[in-house]
Amino acid sequence: MTDLDIGKGTVGGAIGIPAGRAVPRPPRMGRMRALIANAWYELRKSKTALAGLVMLALLFGACIATPVIATHDPIKQSYRERLAPPSEKHYLGTDRLGRDIYSRLLWGGRRLVTIAVLAVTFGLAIGIPYGVLSGYFGGKTDAVAMRFVDGLLAFPGLLLYLLVVTLAREWKLEGIYNDLILIFALGFAFMPEVARLARGSVLAEKQKEYVEASRAIGDGHFSIALKQILPNIVSPLIVNATVRLGYVILIIAALSFLGLGTPPPTPDWGSDLSAARDFMETAPLIAVFPGLAICYTVLAFNLFGDGLRDILDPRIAER
Amino acid sequence: MLAYIIRRIAHLVPVLFVLTVSVFVFVEMLPGNIVDTLIGTEGNDDPEIRKALEQEYGLDQPVHIRYAKWLGRVVQGDFGISLVTRRPVTLELMTGIPATVYLAAVGIGVSMLIAVPLGTIAAVRRNTPVDYTAQVTSLAGISIPEFWFAILCVLLFSLYLGWLPSSGYVSPFVDLKASLTYLILPAVAIGFRQAAFTTRLTRSSMLDEMNKEYVDTARSLGFRERKVIFKYTLRNAMIPTLTISGLQLANLLGGTVVLETIFAWPGIGRAIYEAILQRDYPLVQAGVLVLGVIVVVTNLLVDLAYRLLNPRVALA
Repeated sequence: MTDLDIGKGTVGGAIGIPAGRAVPRPPRMGRMRALIANAWYELRKSKTALAGLVMLALLFGACIATPVIATHDPIKQSYRERLAPPSEKHYLGTDRLGRDIYSRLLWGGRRLVTIAVLAVTFGLAIGIPYGVLSGYFGGKTDAVAMRFVDGLLAFPGLLLYLLVVTLAREWKLEGIYNDLILIFALGFAFMPEVARLARGSVLAEKQKEYVEASRAIGDGHFSIALKQILPNIVSPLIVNATVRLGYVILIIAALSFLGLGTPPPTPDWGSDLSAARDFMETAPLIAVFPGLAICYTVLAFNLFGDGLRDILDPRIAER
Repeated sequence: MLAYIIRRIAHLVPVLFVLTVSVFVFVEMLPGNIVDTLIGTEGNDDPEIRKALEQEYGLDQPVHIRYAKWLGRVVQGDFGISLVTRRPVTLELMTGIPATVYLAAVGIGVSMLIAVPLGTIAAVRRNTPVDYTAQVTSLAGISIPEFWFAILCVLLFSLYLGWLPSSGYVSPFVDLKASLTYLILPAVAIGFRQAAFTTRLTRSSMLDEMNKEYVDTARSLGFRERKVIFKYTLRNAMIPTLTISGLQLANLLGGTVVLETIFAWPGIGRAIYEAILQRDYPLVQAGVLVLGVIVVVTNLLVDLAYRLLNPRVALA
């Protein structure tokens, strides 16, 4: 850029602002509040994002308030009340062991969402530095790093998760360790996608002048890559992570549906759904509720992610 | 083009290396080893016998040597013997893969039948109720877990209406009609979900094409709108759709595990899943490796086909 360019910008701006009307000055506020206000202003532009946001707020609200709003102990069995239809005592009825479905859904959801969020966070935490540094340094480092990512992407469908979950089972990891392994597997499988996306953006970004400027004033490589470039490429990553949350929830549900998730008494949408199949003719509703819960959650993340994409990438939103 | 193909094939080498190492390490990381299994079944733990067995299976050698030897056998198509059925693993794969390919290919066919018309109409009638319906339906389709959708289908069409069998498999070469009745539910369950992705893609690539100048030219020459859409625009817009469908097909080979379990479909996914449950690790190892190789090779072929169909893409 030269002085000429800056001059052009100023002229354009001056023409763009109608004479006699002062540009309203934004009220002063703290950095955090400004950030939130800005986010809200942007979000209002997309109905999809708003719908997703409302659904997510309800979901997270329910997850946080579970101990308060759950009416029964989710693992307490009651032989007399097996397969009861929805009633005032059991809002959504009871399952084959007389456990309250409403409470099981709440506790199961709380666990599911926590695992999904941690897994996606883990995927971002390893994928972003990997992709950014690979793209920034380029050359042979990049080539080697990306071939590794390609290798990971070669695992089709559920197989990578199946392998890791099997290892966890063989090592007799139980309780929290089992969950940690699941988080690790799901996050690790997300890593290649994050790394590729981050790398692609970095390749475009590192040609820009501010990078050269940082280098000229003597910033180190890591500082330029992670402090200067990274903040400029976060938006596609945020969109990707939001949509991925929905996908991760589907995967966890599928794994527990196959019986490779948490062992039985723990409330879990996937395994509850699987168990309900045996009673499909007598009590089909039991198979409906966990499925609806999964749909709702995944849809919420997808709507929000779609809306975010429209907002953050106006080129697509114009359609 | 030739140089590009050669470069792409050269890229396969490190990818296959990562894949084989992961699959090999997976079995290495299992607690205990094959000798433990053998001794466990024989019921005697004599250090002498253990040593002899370890030598026989090459466990006394360092890990990289064992990897190389294992790889050498794999390249020749020898994956060992299934611990459960005692048949060669290759044989087990040969029975599972065709069933899965059959299911996945028909599923993708169903997906295209739904997605191409729906995506095209949505793009042509942009921002009308038709478009919004298509968009909401595809968003819902992405959000519905396919195993739940499958269960609901079974509930409706098998239990209540009794039109279709709830699960099972008949080879199409034995009885085509019976085979198709078993195929419909799982194929529709796959097709519905994949169509959700493909509809969105078809819509957006149609919109891309419709904004191009050749469309205006065609219109200004007085061609009918129908001809402009179907003969020129759709044909170009189909390129990305076909590409993605190819990739979906490869990924489905390992992604139909859940549906194969629900519908008792004797495919490779279910075979691997059952092998995991029964600790038949040679089969798991071979299954994952073979599916991985299929995915990598399909990706390459799809990429090359894309470039052939669309010569404007730079050979970067």
